[in-house]
Amino acid sequence: MASSAPSYSKTEVEGKLVVGVGDLVVSRDPEALLVTYALGSCIGVTVYDPIAKVGGLLHFMLPSADLNKEKAAANPAMFGDSGIPLLFKSCYDLGAVKGRLIVCAAGGAEVLADDGHFKIGSRNRTLIRKIFWKNNILIAGDETGGTNSRTLSMRMADGTSIVRTQGSERVLWPT
Amino acid sequence: MANMNDILSGLDGLAALPQTVLRITSMLSGGKASASDLEQAARNDEALTLTILRWANSVAFGRPGCSFTLRQSIARLGNSTMMRIVLEQKTSAMFAGAGAAYGLQRGALWRSAVGGAITAEALARRANFDGPDLAFLCALLRDIGKLAFDAYYGPEYLGLVERHVRPDRTFVGAERAAFGFDHAQLGAELAARWRLPERIAECITFHHNPPETAPAHDVLFDIVHAADIIGLWAGLAIGCDGMQYKLAEHVRVGLDLSRPVAEELIACTWDKLRQTESIMDQTVPQRASA
Repeated sequence: MASSAPSYSKTEVEGKLVVGVGDLVVSRDPEALLVTYALGSCIGVTVYDPIAKVGGLLHFMLPSADLNKEKAAANPAMFGDSGIPLLFKSCYDLGAVKGRLIVCAAGGAEVLADDGHFKIGSRNRTLIRKIFWKNNILIAGDETGGTNSRTLSMRMADGTSIVRTQGSERVLWPT
Repeated sequence: MANMNDILSGLDGLAALPQTVLRITSMLSGGKASASDLEQAARNDEALTLTILRWANSVAFGRPGCSFTLRQSIARLGNSTMMRIVLEQKTSAMFAGAGAAYGLQRGALWRSAVGGAITAEALARRANFDGPDLAFLCALLRDIGKLAFDAYYGPEYLGLVERHVRPDRTFVGAERAAFGFDHAQLGAELAARWRLPERIAECITFHHNPPETAPAHDVLFDIVHAADIIGLWAGLAIGCDGMQYKLAEHVRVGLDLSRPVAEELIACTWDKLRQTESIMDQTVPQRASA
């Protein structure tokens, strides 16, 4: 059985639960595959509890909900600092335990020659490190930065998290 | 390797630009759109009529639950919004099934087209540019060259271009190395064959490399270029080309773009895009089955 937080663009395609931009999905369905496409400067975060077999995937766009509190209230998954806590809370609601959660991340790319004016991807990368460090959570596997588009997926049967980019694929967890 | 003419001549699979879009393009280039023309376009199209009614009766227009006729709805929405709705809907079929060449999911190119158009309109208003509707239209059509590459090469395209991708080279540079021209130039040639006005074709040509100095410089080109980059940050249609594009420095300065401005535009674009998708998912049959 899949379950999700408020969702705007989640769709089920060929057995995949597709997580849209600025959205999150949590599940305890061992048959499910959570996947999010087109991670550019956005970041995808997966969490998985291997005992409860509960997990989720968030695809956030921007680091801070301070940009627009009203938008963050309507769609917390749009921002990292409101989406990540919601991802964890939604997993706890399905029986996950913080100490067992395995966390992976992908995305945070930049356009060429940004010259420090925008750094949208870099600020997203900084945000996840800050949040996880403050909460004493280690990132088990990540692939962030660069200029490539990435696809991040997680198999709910065992939490295997895979990032695909430019035709190649890398297992983020288990390593 | 095929040249531009080979590609564009062999495009039986690529739908022609709908007549309604051509009419609106012509209206925009010559001044204001006519309400009666827009109404005429809507009357002959059941899905479009439904979309207009849903917009006019939506929360965005203030009185949800009230029931308006088509004529009342058109008056209520105003010409600019009507034109946007007609363009979004009439180009959706053209973009709907495309994108495999760039490694995109179904619908991603249309979402990128509309998202970029929404951003361009907002940028145009912010810059007091006289022609936000024209900016919307140009951004909507900016990637028709990707449609042409997609229709001609399909998934084979990626194999042809990827060997020319370099970390410090823009993706359009890789396309030029692979084919001798890029999707912006190909799109402009397609626009010329569709007999779109020259300024729109030029805007398509320059949407990745807007000229900095007069006489070629045009704020319209700057706006569409910036909207394209903001679309990348918003996660719109990032395929095999990734983020291999550059924001021109003179555009950043000229449009007074900063990180907070870009982030606000990203968030606003997604709000409007979701609203558009939500209504069109209920009213356009091919979207529901996508």
